[in-house]
Order: sequence, then C-alpha cells, then structure tokens
Amino acid sequence: MAMSKTAGKRTWFENIRDSPVPWLLPLAVVLGVTFLFPVFEIARLSFTDASLIDEDYSYTLESYLDLFRSPYFANMLQATALFVFASVFLQMLLGFLIALLVDQGEKRGMRTSIATRTAVLSAWAIPGVIIGIIWSILYEQSAAGILNYVLSFVGFGEVPFLSDPQVALASVTLANVWRGTAFSMILLYAGLQTLPEDVMEAAKVDGANAWQRLTRVMLPLLAPMLFINLVIVSIETFNTFDMVLALTGGGPGRSTEIAALSVYNQIFEQFNLGQGAATAVLLVAVNLIMTFVYIKFLERNERVE
Amino acid sequence: MSKSRKEKLTRMGLFLAYVVITLFFLFPIFWVLSTSLKSVPQLFASPPIWLPTDPAFGNYSYVFNNTPTLRYLLNSALLVSLTVFFTVLIAVLAAYGFSRYAFRSKRPSLLAVLAFQMISPVVIAIPLYRLFSELNILNNYASLTVVYVAVVLPFTTWFLKGYFDTIPYQVDEAAIVDGASRWQVLSRILLPVSAPGIATAAILTAVLSWSQFVIPFILLDDRTLYPVSVGLVNLQSDTNAVTLHYLAAASMVSVAPVIVVFVLLQRYIVSALTSGAVKG
Repeated sequence: MAMSKTAGKRTWFENIRDSPVPWLLPLAVVLGVTFLFPVFEIARLSFTDASLIDEDYSYTLESYLDLFRSPYFANMLQATALFVFASVFLQMLLGFLIALLVDQGEKRGMRTSIATRTAVLSAWAIPGVIIGIIWSILYEQSAAGILNYVLSFVGFGEVPFLSDPQVALASVTLANVWRGTAFSMILLYAGLQTLPEDVMEAAKVDGANAWQRLTRVMLPLLAPMLFINLVIVSIETFNTFDMVLALTGGGPGRSTEIAALSVYNQIFEQFNLGQGAATAVLLVAVNLIMTFVYIKFLERNERVE
Repeated sequence: MSKSRKEKLTRMGLFLAYVVITLFFLFPIFWVLSTSLKSVPQLFASPPIWLPTDPAFGNYSYVFNNTPTLRYLLNSALLVSLTVFFTVLIAVLAAYGFSRYAFRSKRPSLLAVLAFQMISPVVIAIPLYRLFSELNILNNYASLTVVYVAVVLPFTTWFLKGYFDTIPYQVDEAAIVDGASRWQVLSRILLPVSAPGIATAAILTAVLSWSQFVIPFILLDDRTLYPVSVGLVNLQSDTNAVTLHYLAAASMVSVAPVIVVFVLLQRYIVSALTSGAVKG
C-alpha cells in the first residue's frame, strides 16, 4: 500500500499496514478475563439452583421465579428505588448549588471559594467503607452520638438513625449524598466555566434578572452536562455497596439492603448462588440499559470518535 | 441600593454559604478526628467534648501496636503500587492503539470498554471467587492485582486516549517519515509530551484503588493479606461503643494518605474528573 500524498491526514493512518492488535491485546485480555467471563458466568448461574457450598446443580428457571415471589425482592426494589432517587436528586441539586456558588466566588476572586471546593472534594476521596464508619460514629445512639446531641437542642427526641427501618434508609441516603455531591459539583462546575461569557453578558444587558438568566440561559446551555451527570451518578448509586455495608450491613432487618448488597447477602450469607446470580443479572441489565442511553446521548453530541 | 453596596452584600452572602457548606463537609471528618483523641470517659461526656484539651495520642500507638492496621496499610500500599504500574502500562498501550490507528471495530471496542466501567464490581467478584478457588489462586496478590487493574482500566484508557488525541499526529507522522518505529514514536515523543496526563491517570488510579473494597473483600479470606479498607470493616465488627476511639484513630490513619495526596494534587484530579465530560 503506497502512501498517497494527496490523501487527507486520516487516510495516511488508514493506509499504514501494521495493525492495532498488539497495542490493544493486553487490555482485551485483562478485560476479557475479569469482565466478559464473569458476566457470562453469572448469567449462566442465574439459570441454575446452585449454592455456594454444594457443587452439584441443575438448570432451572426457579431462581427467577423464587426471586419474584419473595417478599424481600419487592422490599429490595423499593429500598433501592428510594435510595437511588433521593440520592441522585439531592446530590445533583446540592452539587449544582455549590458549583454555582463556587463559580460566582471565583469570578469575584474570593479565595475562600477554592477552600470550599477542596472541603467538598475531600469527602469524595475518602474510601466508601470509611465513610460508612465515619457516619456510624456520627449516628451513634449511645451518649457518644453527636448528631442526637445536636438535634436535642432543636427539640428533637432521640432519633433512631440506624435502628428504625425507615429512618435507617434516610440515614444511609444522607451519608451517600455527603459522599457523592462532590462528583456532581465538580462536573457542573467545569460545565459552568465553559459557558460563553458573552451570552451571559447579553442576557444581562437585555434586562434578564438573575432567575431568568439561570432558568432561560444557563440551564438550557448546561442541559447536556446535567444529563451526563444524571446517568453517571445513577449508575454509581445503583452500584453502591461498600458504604452501606459498613454503615448498616443492610439492616435493621433487611430495610437498607439495596441491590448490590442484596446480591452479596443472598450468595455469601444465605449461600443461594442461583438467586443471587439472578439478582446480579437484573443489576447488570439496569447498568447496561443506562449505559446504552448514555452512549446514544454521547453519539448524538458527537463526543465519541 | 448602590451597586457597590449590592456587591458587598453578595460577597457576604457567598462567604456565609461557604461557611455552611464547609462545615457540612468537614464536620464529620473533624468529629472522627476529635473522637480519635479522646479517653473513654470523654467519649460519653455530656455535654460532648468538641476537642479534648489533653489529646490521647496513645490511641494511635494502641492502634499501631495492638491491631494489624499497620500491616493493612502496607498491604494497601503494595496493592496500589502494583495496580498503578500495570494499569498505566496497559492503558498507555491501548490508548496509543485507540488514538493512533483507524480500524473498523474501533468505535464498538471503545464503547465496550466504557460499558465495562459501568458494571458493578460485586457482579464480577462472585464468578471470580468461584474461578479463583477452583484454580487455587484466592488469597493471591498476583490474581488480585489483575482484578484491581481491570476495575480501573476502562476509565484510565479513555482518559489517556483523550489525552493522546489532543497531541497532533503530524508529530508522529514526521518522526515515522524520519524512520522512527511506532514504539519509538510512543516512548520518545508522545510519552514525554503527555507526562502530566499520565501523572494524573496514575494519581486517580491510586486514589480509586486505595478505596477498592468489594474485590479484596470477596477474593481474600486470609486476614494477614487484607488491604486497609477490608481490615477496617473487620476492625469495626470487633468494635463496641467503648472502643470507638480506637476505630476512629484507625479510620484517621487510613484516610490520611488519600487526603494528603488529594489536597496536594487537587488540580490534576479535578482536571481528570472533568475531562471526560467536558472535552469532546
């Protein structure tokens, strides 16, 4: 294949005779072994009655049927849905507010804005299990519990943060929002900085007030960023495991046993591999559907080459 | 209201908001730090002691001498170093391939890599547990590192591919015309130019791997091999209200390395986190 001097730059690369395979091979091997194989394997296991301790199994649909019939399944779905909706909503709202405030301060040259950004981000850098432990110390219901002490001033009785099923789910969500807000904030903060200055200025000159500038100019311009944020945060939240394990272990009862934790408990606590695998398949399906939506969106915005 | 007065009020409002936000995000960390410096009676004091005047640093020496926390920290350091090395190596090669070659399955391959990133590690850990126990490679850092690498690899590959894309390929072209091999183009030209990007990828891989929990939690059952995340959960299950200060001290010790790295290198991390979404 001769190099063509008249062809465009792209074709120069297309004409080159060597192949990308050696460069991509290590990546393909590592991802193949650790992702492709397990995903197929978990799908296969979901159609069996396998248990973790007993090697023999046969193929059946019972895992799925048992799962759908189980009262815990409906509870798990409900807890997961509440946890994900509340977390994502609050995290994006808070993240956006903080991004706006930090951006405004930065434009005014306030150094405290950077300090604030760092404080928010340090929560994100802490490993999930340690976040669970930190919040379990805050939620402590003995005399050592600080949140209950503070709340008693505002006229609250003792709040059963981790011992009441409904309160526990809210407590887990709050800890998760504390952890995740940084991610939304930093994405939206970056988005705010890409907004064209002249458009914002023009809106101001035309007499739009702050609220109109926010809702009619800023939000539409930020819409793609908000959507990307929404999808990534939803997937992350769906997959939450370590923080909740350390904070409640899924309890009290099974009230905070959200999807990923439920997969783990079914397999390693109840040794029900088939049913746990069936739950895992549903979790992967949700992940892949959201990823598909995400990819379609990226393609429409031509962000993938 | 005059303009300057309005501006002053805005600044005051912003400052107030910053105080509230910073308090909300730093208070939990501050409280754990304070707990880690208390004696047992101080833990239960009412009204609570915000910061003990006679800090019990002995809690930290207790944690180092009477719990395996130091061992866990060293294990984490080893796992993270191995993971960073191999992740960056494999991601650089793959990023070069994706950035510098045009091939038909490029788009689907890139999207497949992205999809892997979205799959919960819990899901892959279970079949891997069965596979590893069959092959007798549970409790093995070599096999564990492969999984650690795989979990961060999709992100790192995408990030570095994006970085290489910003370097014009006329540079490669010129070198190849001069007789350089592709390997030389990568090692002598692209790598030096993208040093900041590679450093960012390494930092982020380190922070993410330090936090890794599910994978070692399921694939290790030998306590002496636990990284700090799994070790702490173990320590937590042995903790009751009376040993809360030790748990707090152990938590502070395990968080300290990430926080230090994070605050010092914040600029790089922020740029990495946002690059995927902001640049095209």
